[in-house]
Amino acid sequence: MAHPSFSGSGDVTADVVIVGSGVVGAVIAHQLAAAGHSVVMLEAGLRLKRSDIVENWRNMSFHNRVHSDFQGLYPQAPLAPAPLYFPANDYVGLSGPDGSAFQQGYLRTVGGTTWHWAASCWRHLPADFRMKTNYGVGRDWAISYDDLEPYYCRAEEAMGVSGPHDPDLQSPRERSRPYPRDMIPFGYGDRRVAELVNPHGFRLVPIPQGRSIQPFEDRPSCCGNNNCQPICPIGAMYNGIQHVVKAEDAGAVVLDQAVAYRIDTDEKNRVTAIHWYDAERKSHKATGRTFVLACNGIETPRLLLLAANERNPTGIANSSDQVGRNMMDHSGVHATFLANEPLWFGRGPAQSSCIVGPRDGGFRSSYSANKMILNNISRVGPATQQALELGLVGQALEDEIRRRAACGVDLSVSLEPLPDPDNRLTLSRTRRDPLGLACPDIHYDVGEYVRKGAVAAAEQIKQVAGLLGGTELRVTTSFNANNHIMGGAIMGSDPKDSVVDGDCRAHDHANLWLPGGGAMPSASVVNTTLSMVALGIKAADSMQADFQGGRA
Amino acid sequence: MIGKGRAAWGRYVLGPALGVMSMTGVALAQDAGGDAALVARGRYLATAADCAACHTTPHGGRPFAGGYGIASPLGSIYAANITPSKVAGIGAYTEAQFGRAVREGIRGDGARLYPAMPYTSYARLTDADIHALYVYFMQEVRPVDERPPATHLPFPFNLRFSMMVWNALYLDNTRFAPDPAKSAEVNRGAYLAIGLGHCDTCHTPRNVMMAEIGGKELGGASLGAWIAPNITPDPVSGIGNWSSDDLFRYLKTGDVPGKAQAAGPMAEAIEHSFQYLTDDDLKAIVAYVRQVPALRDAADSRPRESFGMASGREAALRGVSGTLDNGEKIFSGDCAACHQPGGQGSRDSYYPQLFHNTATGASTPDNLIAAIVEGVDRTVGGQHVFMPGFSHGSYVDELSDQDVADVGNYVLTHFGNPAVKISAADVASIRHGGPKPLLARVGGYIVPALAGAVVVLLALVGLVVARRRRG
Repeated sequence: MAHPSFSGSGDVTADVVIVGSGVVGAVIAHQLAAAGHSVVMLEAGLRLKRSDIVENWRNMSFHNRVHSDFQGLYPQAPLAPAPLYFPANDYVGLSGPDGSAFQQGYLRTVGGTTWHWAASCWRHLPADFRMKTNYGVGRDWAISYDDLEPYYCRAEEAMGVSGPHDPDLQSPRERSRPYPRDMIPFGYGDRRVAELVNPHGFRLVPIPQGRSIQPFEDRPSCCGNNNCQPICPIGAMYNGIQHVVKAEDAGAVVLDQAVAYRIDTDEKNRVTAIHWYDAERKSHKATGRTFVLACNGIETPRLLLLAANERNPTGIANSSDQVGRNMMDHSGVHATFLANEPLWFGRGPAQSSCIVGPRDGGFRSSYSANKMILNNISRVGPATQQALELGLVGQALEDEIRRRAACGVDLSVSLEPLPDPDNRLTLSRTRRDPLGLACPDIHYDVGEYVRKGAVAAAEQIKQVAGLLGGTELRVTTSFNANNHIMGGAIMGSDPKDSVVDGDCRAHDHANLWLPGGGAMPSASVVNTTLSMVALGIKAADSMQADFQGGRA
Repeated sequence: MIGKGRAAWGRYVLGPALGVMSMTGVALAQDAGGDAALVARGRYLATAADCAACHTTPHGGRPFAGGYGIASPLGSIYAANITPSKVAGIGAYTEAQFGRAVREGIRGDGARLYPAMPYTSYARLTDADIHALYVYFMQEVRPVDERPPATHLPFPFNLRFSMMVWNALYLDNTRFAPDPAKSAEVNRGAYLAIGLGHCDTCHTPRNVMMAEIGGKELGGASLGAWIAPNITPDPVSGIGNWSSDDLFRYLKTGDVPGKAQAAGPMAEAIEHSFQYLTDDDLKAIVAYVRQVPALRDAADSRPRESFGMASGREAALRGVSGTLDNGEKIFSGDCAACHQPGGQGSRDSYYPQLFHNTATGASTPDNLIAAIVEGVDRTVGGQHVFMPGFSHGSYVDELSDQDVADVGNYVLTHFGNPAVKISAADVASIRHGGPKPLLARVGGYIVPALAGAVVVLLALVGLVVARRRRG
């Protein structure tokens, strides 16, 4: 078992230096450590205990719960802030026509944001890899679906995904291996809605999920606490911390409260070292042969820009000027209504089924696809709020809460933005973090493609609500963020207009990989984590090939 | 003696194990030219004796191919390959050699087995059952030509011939004979419980030479991390307050809400053996256990399943300023989501209640600690009951020794026996396999003592054997 070697002053040398300990960094760390390489991971945030977070959640106010505060219960490292919204800390400065649609909730903590994801493990469709070729919009990936497919399988197996074995319920159907576990069974509401909407082409399918109804290895079975966000109280949901621990068991070392800020490069523009500040603001250096930035869609481009050096004056990996551009998220809307019969959403995992009929089609040449998640988050909170607003008291209040909780439907509709270089992350000239490092600024405009897609989605929402006898239909009028951050280190075949190649290797630096959402050149309409992990495993394979080929 | 991770073996016994011949079983047996009923009988006996517990490596080991390291206090003892392989297993054994291995602990080549193999229990097996087992192993078990690792215990325990002395002292090599004063059911139960099922192997305490202590049958013993409790019919220290239905349900499912859930080695015994026994055989075991001499431990004041009640603290806690103590905080964060803040568990009892639970009411906290650090893993009737452990690598949380002590003490105070206290050192001890018996602690130092004692012991052998045969 290989271990990183530390100097007396706290500098470190390892075969592989990984910045970020979320799911992507952790899976890569585990693979390379298990292959016998020494691995060090630099994590800006704290190492947390689940029981502390659960206890913080138990003590959270009704207001924060009803408004989905997923960030506030996670303690932050004093020197490594992450976004907060209750109240807003403005760590990420937002501007542009839809700046408010980019209020991302991501964690800087050991294990990363999968502490509070919903564990949806979608694959992109084959068509999503060829948006330019197929539909004349957006970009093509440097790789095809077939290239990534084996890595999707490995990602699903690593994360213990439950997904439908029935091909008719798969989206996409193209698979070389079955899901490790069959789908989480539909709840009553899923079944009933499928009966009502599927005859009209909406195609309600189960969401593939990083959890299971029987134990998976040593992971307990999901018992439907319905609390995936902001914290699974029983560890039944896949979380990057699980691969962090596996990586450590294979010899990797995780340094928490280690904020990377500078990157050294040599005359061949290979990366030679990454510098970090420890919790006492003391600077250290990590030298190695292979370097990985796996800090998700905002912190990776931010670090690349922060680390500009003499040879790379506009930022690391940025000869194309594309670092921080093409920022994307599944800007979406929520539609709520009361069905004319009880559907009892809110039992089981927070996400269960999803309408994927509008996921693909010729229309994508002119407007955005969408998917509609039949949110399975308990409606008791909103139902209570609505019933209280009606001024009810006593038994009438109780009955109304019950009726609204039973009949309430919340569709979370995700739309697909196109990569637009003007949707851009830059370094703030005015706001700095406690270490004096520039905070990120993001300019965001969802674009006409999404706006037109939202109009089409609004029609579909009305139709779905109608099929369920819906009343009190409310569709949000401004776009909301979905925390699926993409584009800032975009993949492409041409180094002139992209940052990384099909292995997520930086075009500019032969020993630097930037895997994760930032590399994704098309957003599709589905949650990004599985694609991020698949890209991470593909990147890890290419790192191993470099070691084996004497190129590292 | 038996640690974590032995839970998933033995799935091969599933269908045919009840002695009800599946079509496959019949076909296989007939192909082999044997007597299908005899093979089925042997298969059932092998299940009742739980041979697979040690001889099939968990998590996908080939049936009876051995190789599983039984973590004895003296070091790992590797289970033998007992498939009919002629090169690596028992394929060349005659039935007489097979019988000697099972009942006397003597290998085909004459070497002595360690009593990790419960031959002192199997000594009671009848010739007819040995025959059925032999036919089953030879005709239905698939040969595996791979040798498991050799056992290397430290000196002096590596001297297998020393077991001859031990056997002379402690092996009662007499076959089971029904007691005419007792019912056929009790006699059947005795044969199953003490012969095949070897309950005494775990539940009867052992002396300094690791032999079961006469007169303390089923009186409870430490197995290392876990305690095999007193299962004599004493109403305070044993199972005297359990109904026969409770005991039957426990053996069949490992779960009696309001009393106890099986974990650790007992969960394995139920998973791989008891759940497949016929109802009549389980009832016979119950009948036998209910009539063994009751043993009372003076330290016990109340039955272990009688302590505690639901807690109402959750409502009092929220909205109050001030911090919780560490134990209550961990309870709230790591335990309450499943066992509920009030400790009443889930309605379907998948997550058991914490009060009126033998793990929290016992006079020693070992099983509570072991459940927290190792978890609970039991697949019965197709349902997988799984509580993750809270040790390194836990999918839920990794708790320190002090954390486990704190949360354990919170549970004992609010739901269990409040007189029992857990220290961080107790937790560390359980994590490392529990208290070690004297024999393991003294190790090599025992040699000079043994040398001096052996003459005396040998002199005593005749006397002891004679006494045992009389008794």
